[in-house]
Amino acid sequence: MRLRRIRARFTAVNASAKRLRTVFVVVPCIFMITMLVLPALNGLLLSFDHNGLSLANYKILFDDSMFWRALGNNLLVPFGSVIVEFALGLALALTLTARRNRSALIETAAILPFAIPEIVILTLARYIFLPRGYLNGAITMTGMHPLPWLSPRSPLAIFTVIVVDAWHVTPVVMLMLMAGLQTIPTELYEAARLDGAGTFATFRFVTLPMLMPAIVGALILRGIDALRIFSTVLVLTGPEGVPVLSTYSYSLWDDAQKPHEAMAASMILALMVTIIGIGGLLAARRFSRDDGALA
Amino acid sequence: MNTSLKAARFALIAFVLVGAALPLYLLAKQSMTPELETFAWPPHWIPHHPTLSHFISVFAVNELRSAVLRSLAVAAISAVIATSLGAMLAHAMARNSIAQRLGFSTVSGIRLLPMIAVAIPLGIILATVGIYDSPTGIGLAIVHAAIAIPTAALTLYAAFVAIPLEIEEAAWIDGASPLRIFLTIDLLMARTSIATALILCFILSWDEFGFALLVQQTNRTLPPLLYYYTVFGNVGPASALALLMMIPAICVVVALGPSLRGALTAGSSR
Repeated sequence: MRLRRIRARFTAVNASAKRLRTVFVVVPCIFMITMLVLPALNGLLLSFDHNGLSLANYKILFDDSMFWRALGNNLLVPFGSVIVEFALGLALALTLTARRNRSALIETAAILPFAIPEIVILTLARYIFLPRGYLNGAITMTGMHPLPWLSPRSPLAIFTVIVVDAWHVTPVVMLMLMAGLQTIPTELYEAARLDGAGTFATFRFVTLPMLMPAIVGALILRGIDALRIFSTVLVLTGPEGVPVLSTYSYSLWDDAQKPHEAMAASMILALMVTIIGIGGLLAARRFSRDDGALA
Repeated sequence: MNTSLKAARFALIAFVLVGAALPLYLLAKQSMTPELETFAWPPHWIPHHPTLSHFISVFAVNELRSAVLRSLAVAAISAVIATSLGAMLAHAMARNSIAQRLGFSTVSGIRLLPMIAVAIPLGIILATVGIYDSPTGIGLAIVHAAIAIPTAALTLYAAFVAIPLEIEEAAWIDGASPLRIFLTIDLLMARTSIATALILCFILSWDEFGFALLVQQTNRTLPPLLYYYTVFGNVGPASALALLMMIPAICVVVALGPSLRGALTAGSSR
């Protein structure tokens, strides 16, 4: 009798718990989808609207040389900045984890550029890299010739954009890799030392394979973020200097007042991010399965 | 340890210290330099005639003062909304595997959307609703809430997973409804993580530039205002503003320590 009552109550509570859980999932997801996904879908629809349904907006883009420059830069700049951020981030993560007495000051200093708001870093970077900025000031002081770091259409400007982006974002890569390094059991290092492995061999055969999941994760996340580069380019060079798809789309919308073409350009970026992102995720899944088979 | 590796290590650490100290120093220096002196060539490394006038102007100029207040309001409102909704999502994800899968795929799917692809059509939608470029920044606050939900949910997910199910079971045997269990037990036990989530969402909104630029075209918040000041050459006020903007984030990193630093990367996105 008592058992039956408890069971009845359990079923009732269970049903209401289920209802609550459904509400808890649906409300936030609907909110995010309404605010972010539906506008994007609306943009997709409007990108085909050119006095009726047509591909004309995309055709106009393909005839614009600025679009092709933006597309090229949108591959080149993210690729370059991910490589720089990864190399620096890995070096920093190894250095900071390897120190016997870890210094809070140095760790805080390493994270600081990411904690500073992006727009603040960019403001400062502009003052550093402008023709009459601090960098050229320092170069002149040493007696060498100043360089046009931000001059439009130059490879040097692309380089500067990559450096500034890396300055702000490297700490993220570093933190992800540090988290990965902390999961490697110390026994492995001891075993490697007993077997007589040197610094390089230990890194190559212990650290690197064990760190691979963290590396792949960091590369995918950073790669997706890097493709959406916007403010770095806008602040440093303006939308015309080193155009990427985001700034190209922004200038079509803001300066040229062509919202539908702007949306077409942004849809091409969205397509690019989706393809590369899903490709990366699939590669990562396949990678981790291979890893499992090996183990 | 061979010497070349040691030298590389030393160089790297020197690099890090310079990279962190340089922005603080140069901005502080510029914010205390009179407008005319900022055009000096070669640039001065220390101000010859230091002044505090730029900081005074930040609070005297109407546009600046209202931007500070608007940024604070937008960040606070969006942090509260995002943490509330994020807590709901995180709780469901921690207790149910279908909810977990659904939550994770929504959260990571949203990461794939470029800001510009959302912001332009969203501006049109906000304009039809009548909250585009509103003086209170309410439209931007709602957008920021939506982009901050993943950060809040990921921060709180771990906290809810850590709460033992036995406690919830004990509560329902005592007759508490699921909603009451969530409100009085789970939220209370996760209060440290809720504070973390609130702070992270606040910072996310405070720093966010893209949506702010597109949604608040004339009633600007701090990041777009700083952008216009920078691009149109008001070096002193721009630097004072930039220093002001750094305060919350730096307090968080220096004061709240390593636990928060890990969380900072969990939801990092632009």
